[in-house]
Order: sequence, then C-alpha cells, then structure tokens
Amino acid sequence: MPVDTTFKPPRQVDWAGIGFAVVLSIVIIFPLIVVGLWAFANVWRYPNVIPQEFGLRFWYQTLSRPDVWESITTSVELAVSVTVISSIICLPAAFAFARLKFPFRSLLFFSFIAGQAFPKFGLLVAIAGIFLSLNLIGTFWGVVLIQLVGTLLYMIWIPVAAFQGVSPRMEEAARDVGASPLRVFWSITLPQAGPTIGAAVLLTFVNTFYETEGAWLIGAPAVHTMPILMISFINNQPVIQYGAVLSAILWLPSFFALLFARRVISGGSFARGFGA
Amino acid sequence: MSLAPASDIVGTQKSRGRPLGLLLVALPVLLVFWMVIFPIISAVVTTLWQKGSDGQYGLSLRTYQFFFSDPYSLSNLWLTLWVTIVAAIILLVVCLPIALYLRFAKSRLASYVQGLSIFPLFVPSIILSFAFIRVLGPNGAFDIILNALHLPKIRTPYLTPWGPLIGLVWDHIPLTVLILLAGLGAVSDASIEAARDVGAGRGRLLWHIILPRIGNSILVALSFSVLGIFSAFTLPYVLGPAAPEMMGPFMQRTFRDLYDPDNAITQAVISFFFCIAFGLFYVRSVVKNQRAR
Repeated sequence: MPVDTTFKPPRQVDWAGIGFAVVLSIVIIFPLIVVGLWAFANVWRYPNVIPQEFGLRFWYQTLSRPDVWESITTSVELAVSVTVISSIICLPAAFAFARLKFPFRSLLFFSFIAGQAFPKFGLLVAIAGIFLSLNLIGTFWGVVLIQLVGTLLYMIWIPVAAFQGVSPRMEEAARDVGASPLRVFWSITLPQAGPTIGAAVLLTFVNTFYETEGAWLIGAPAVHTMPILMISFINNQPVIQYGAVLSAILWLPSFFALLFARRVISGGSFARGFGA
Repeated sequence: MSLAPASDIVGTQKSRGRPLGLLLVALPVLLVFWMVIFPIISAVVTTLWQKGSDGQYGLSLRTYQFFFSDPYSLSNLWLTLWVTIVAAIILLVVCLPIALYLRFAKSRLASYVQGLSIFPLFVPSIILSFAFIRVLGPNGAFDIILNALHLPKIRTPYLTPWGPLIGLVWDHIPLTVLILLAGLGAVSDASIEAARDVGAGRGRLLWHIILPRIGNSILVALSFSVLGIFSAFTLPYVLGPAAPEMMGPFMQRTFRDLYDPDNAITQAVISFFFCIAFGLFYVRSVVKNQRAR
C-alpha cells in the first residue's frame, strides 16, 4: 500500500471567518436589501414578510415630483461647482507643494489639517457665525464655499502624493532628449499621476454630493439638495416608497465611487492618510 | 517655471520658483486661514468678548454661565458624552476582533469580510438613517420577522439615544477597522511565531505581543471616532430623541431655529473644548505619518 508521504495539515474550518461573514452580512447588507425591496414594492403591508406586489409604480411617481427634480439639479450643480473650483485652485497648489521650493512650504502644507482637530459640526457653526455677517446664509454660493473648504485637505494631500510618486528619472530622460518642461509635464508627469488625481476628484465629487450638514446649516431654507429632501421625506412623508426610491437614486454616485475607489481604499496608504 | 524632478528634500530649484510656488498655493491657503483658523479664533473671541449691559465691550462669561447653569443644555451635553463614550467602546470591541481576524486570515472568506467591513464607507448617512428606520423602526423588517416567528415586537431604538448610537457605530466601522488593520501591519509574523514557540496562548499573545504594538493605532481610531461622533449631526437629528438632543442638532437648532448665534457658537466652543485632546492627538499622528513617508 503506497504511503502518502506529503504532510497535509488538517483542514480547519474557519469558524471565526464564517461568524464575521454571517454577522456582518446581516448587519451591513440586510438593511440595504430592505430599502431595495421597498423601492420596488407597489404594495407592502405589515405583517407580510415580502411585499404583496412588486413593480415600478413608485419610481414613476417619485420621478414625476418637481421637488425631486429640483433637488437633483441643485445637488449636481453644487457638486460640479465645488469639484471644478476645488480642482482649479488645489491641483496647481498640489503641484507646487510637490515640486517647488518656497518659504513656509511645510507649515502651509500642514495648515490644511488644522480643521481636523475640531469636531466638524462645531467648526461649521463657527463658520456660519462669520457667514451671518457676510449675508451668505441661505445662498447657493455660501453652500459652495463651505463645501469647498471641506474638500481642500484631500484635494491637496492626495495629488501631492501622486506628483511625488512620479519617477524623476523618466522626466530627466525626457528632458535630456530635448522635451520642453510643458511637454514633460503633459507626456510624463500627468499620465503617471493622473489615475490617483482622478480618484481624488471623484471622491471630492461624491463627498460633496452627500454633504448634508453644511448645506443644511448654511443653505436652509433656500437650497434643497437631495440629502436635505431625503431628511424631509424621512420626517414628513407617509409614503415610504418615495424615500426608498430617492435612496436608490441617491446611492448612484457612491456606486461609482465603489467601483473605482475600492482598490485605493483597501491599500494601506488610505488608512495612513487618516493617521493610522 | 521650474519643473525639476521631485527633489522633495534637496531643493535644487532656481530662486525664480519661489514667488511662483507661493502664488500657486495662495488661494487654498488663504481659504483655510479665512474659513478654518479665523472662525475658530473668532468663535472663542466673540463668545468671551461681549457687549456688557453698560454698552462697553469687555471680558464676559455670560453665555458660558448660561450654558453651564441651564439644565437643558447640560442634559444635551451629558447625552452627547454618553453616546460618544459608549459608541467608542462598542466600536473598539467590534472592530478589534475583525481587524485581528483580517490581519491573520488569508482566505477568500477574509476578503469578503474585509469588503463588508469597508462597505459602510459607500453608504451615505442619510440612506443609512432611512434603512435604520425601515429595519429597526416601528413595524420595520425586524418586527416583521419577529411577528412571523410569533415572537413579541422589540422596543424600537428609533427616537431614543440608542438610535443615533447604533447608526454612528455602523458608520464608523470601516475607518476604525482600516486604522486598526494598518496598525496591526506593524506586528511582524516573526514576533508572533517566536511567542508561539515558547508556548504563549492566544490570550497572552494578544495581551503581551499585539496590544502593546498597536496602542497608538487604537488611540488614533478612538480619537477619530470621538471627533466624528461628538458633533455628529445627521444621524442624531433623524434618529435621535427630540429632547434631550445631541450637541450637533442642538447647535443647529440654536443657530437656525432660535436665531441665537451667540449661544450656538458658545456650544461650538464647548464642543471644541471637550474634543481638543483627541483632536490634537489625531492631528499629531497624521502629521507624523506624513513626515515619515
């Protein structure tokens, strides 16, 4: 009888893993499935375990509400304005921090973290106190300004890391064969730093899209974004499906962020950015 | 314009680059000074330097005296402290085992667990609030399941302090796990194996080898959640009780509904005060990490 000489460790059942997987699935995925069910439920009366009737009826009804369209337009306008302004002022600054030498460079670079030392809503109230005297309360541009401040840290720090990660040797080689500085930037630097910068821009857009606290504190009652409409649906809307459908629409930007940014976030450098 | 390679430490750029560099960073830097640093200083100054009854400006603790002698303000502060402390403890108790598991497991199941624990990053708090009400609220999914099993209904945590508490823990799981996991990366496999070879059990391994090495990461995770939870707004506003309320909704209501910016800013300064140790520690660790890169 042949003897099996290779040693095989006994297959251990990963009980801890199974336990975590089951508990986290219930705690994290189950609530979202419930919202998804509500969005496609034409009729769901207590105490039925699943909806009595599935369908798209409430998608048509929600999408024919003018307040929903107004909030979608406002949210997109706000997020686009903030992302564009933030890119215009932050990306050149990030390039300067990564490549140029100037006085107080380190101090100025670290000044962007100052806001993180304070509880966020307290800081927003302090800013709102200043906006009060500038008559920016209740205006679109007041909200843009307060959301813009929230984007500065990551729109500077992430691109700085991206610019610093570009290999200097390739740039030198390109210059050696006579490429102009602009050409080097366009053909060597940007393609290498591009994906990370793109991720930073995407995260800025998504975070601004979901920013609720500044928009509520500064923008109310004139500026209605989707999260703010969602709050009023939760508090005052007896038809549950409206909220569920709006949640599903509202989740779309996050879905794209999930597709593109998961790899970045799972890597250790993301957590280190949070001081880990 | 000098586009010399990334000589981060040794600067070989021409002096021409200096004014240009300052010019390029000027706008965001001014924005930070105008909208972060100035408001904080201004908040402290305006709440301490107020117009007295004689019309003269002078040092005054009036709004602070009001806050600390008003039972409603104080009960809001206690509620906030209670939620913050309990949530921070629950977060550590929940996330440390997950992070430990992820550090040592390499299976496909482990990547599923990691994906799940990061997932809340991609669920905005407002959708979370809605989902919470549909699951744990009155006649929510939980009640439906209990009813189908012929069990009595739960006492819903919706509109009690447990509502925002559960929501905030859910919301903070991803970054707590990621921060702890990054800390656990510093614990080498060799040191674990060495300890196992001399017969250390799991408990002693955790207590003597792992915990001392990730103490700093635990403090960072703790500071990050304390800062986030103490002045949280959306979840307490939607899921929490109307009275007493947490500091976030309290400040918002004082500022916008009661048109009382002086007292709202005082509440903001008081919340700065309660978080300042965590805030400074957190910022210090982030700066240290950036420098170490």
